[in-house]
Amino acid sequence: MSIEYIISMITNNWPMFLRGAGMTLLISIIGTIFGAIIGLLAGVIRTIPKPERKIKRVLLKIVNLILSAYIEFFRGTPMIVQAMVIFYGSALAFGIDMDRTTAAIFIVSINTGAYMAEIVRGGVISIDKGQFEAAQAIGMNHVQTMWSVVLPQVIRNILPATGNQFIINIKDTSVLNVIGVTELYFQAKTVAGISFKYFEPFFIACILYFVMTFTVTLILRYIERRLDGPENYSMIGQPPPQLMLPKNKANID
Amino acid sequence: MGNVIEVQHLSKSFGNHEVLRDIDFSVNKGEVICIIGSSGSGKSTLLRCINLLEKPSGGQIIYHGENILDEKHDIHAYRKKLGMVFQQFNLFNNHNALNNCMVGQVKVLKRSKEDAEKIALKYLKVVGMDHYVNAKPKQLSGGQKQRVAIARALSMEPDVMLFDEPTSALDPEMVGEVLKVMKELASTGLTMLIVTHEMEFAKEVADRVVFMDKGVIAEEGSPEQIFNNPREERTKAFLKRTLS
Repeated sequence: MSIEYIISMITNNWPMFLRGAGMTLLISIIGTIFGAIIGLLAGVIRTIPKPERKIKRVLLKIVNLILSAYIEFFRGTPMIVQAMVIFYGSALAFGIDMDRTTAAIFIVSINTGAYMAEIVRGGVISIDKGQFEAAQAIGMNHVQTMWSVVLPQVIRNILPATGNQFIINIKDTSVLNVIGVTELYFQAKTVAGISFKYFEPFFIACILYFVMTFTVTLILRYIERRLDGPENYSMIGQPPPQLMLPKNKANID
Repeated sequence: MGNVIEVQHLSKSFGNHEVLRDIDFSVNKGEVICIIGSSGSGKSTLLRCINLLEKPSGGQIIYHGENILDEKHDIHAYRKKLGMVFQQFNLFNNHNALNNCMVGQVKVLKRSKEDAEKIALKYLKVVGMDHYVNAKPKQLSGGQKQRVAIARALSMEPDVMLFDEPTSALDPEMVGEVLKVMKELASTGLTMLIVTHEMEFAKEVADRVVFMDKGVIAEEGSPEQIFNNPREERTKAFLKRTLS
């Protein structure tokens, strides 16, 4: 287990590691994006104020109940078990033979969605009530208020938590090897099986995981700074009169 | 009659706490009304009931002959006709000054971006904030924020402007700049309903002063009458407390 051996292992098996890392990234990126969309929708629905009409109120209650059940179920069970149940269950119950990659993306998406729904709800609650009132006072409905005023602020505020979720996804896709998805952990295991060496392939996988997560962290920091915009602003035209010095001192005397 | 809004037998309770009781009150076109009274007298609640930020518990609010508390009535269509200025400004934090004045016009009034920008700039100029169109709310002082908030409400070209203690959250030195803007607006014939603690201001600009006490309108009349010859004992007591 020298450095040379690790390097030779990389040079001999790099396509497998690279394909594994690529698959891990693919699943976690698409899963996080879909999950964030599910989370935003669920979070927005769960923060709709109580409607006046009785029919709408009952309808909203039913939808909320379904959403709560979804969130509690997927937060409350391990993803590794969900993967088994969904992948083998869908074949058994509905006769659907899911493509492994599709199944992986599906599982990561709905799992992330459950967490993101709570993150978004927290983000919406944290927005000052005055923002909602001001939007309502100029005649905006709930969707307009959310779209133009609240969600842009929520998205900025939940970006760190979303990044967290993304990084968790990169790492947790490793459990999907149980349904035979050829992500990074699966590939490392395969290399280990071929070479009968265990430390080296997993050490390489470890470094690749870290490179991926750390890159994501850096990219998200950059996006956050971009969203915050510049610290300064430029004035348009002449500065207002109270900032101007008296032009003619002679008049004062 | 030039009635814009007529409030009839309005009441509001939070739980078993009755905040407003049997309020009868009307706003005429072009009138500047100041609502005064001590804290907890229900002034702000009355204003918030008028644009339905609080749901009244009883009574009617008649706007151009229609009861807007009727379930069928479109609340959003009614609210866009009322401009609201809050104590805490409540500018949209994600928009700069210009967009704060545009977003409602574009989304609610469906104006084109070009028209909306023209109108927004016009009113930002009225409040003296046209140089700050690029500034985000967090980059502005309290007085500047409140002036942008006034421009935002004016940009919707409402029938009535509601002001909920617009200077109470400001540093003393910034109160003047906001009151100056409001005085100018009052002189243009805009219909204004102002909840305020600024007695001098009320004396100067109001056509009518409404004094509220413990959830009812205790007395209303011209500023001369209310400030110089109050009829009610509690009005006298309140004025003595605040003016001394």
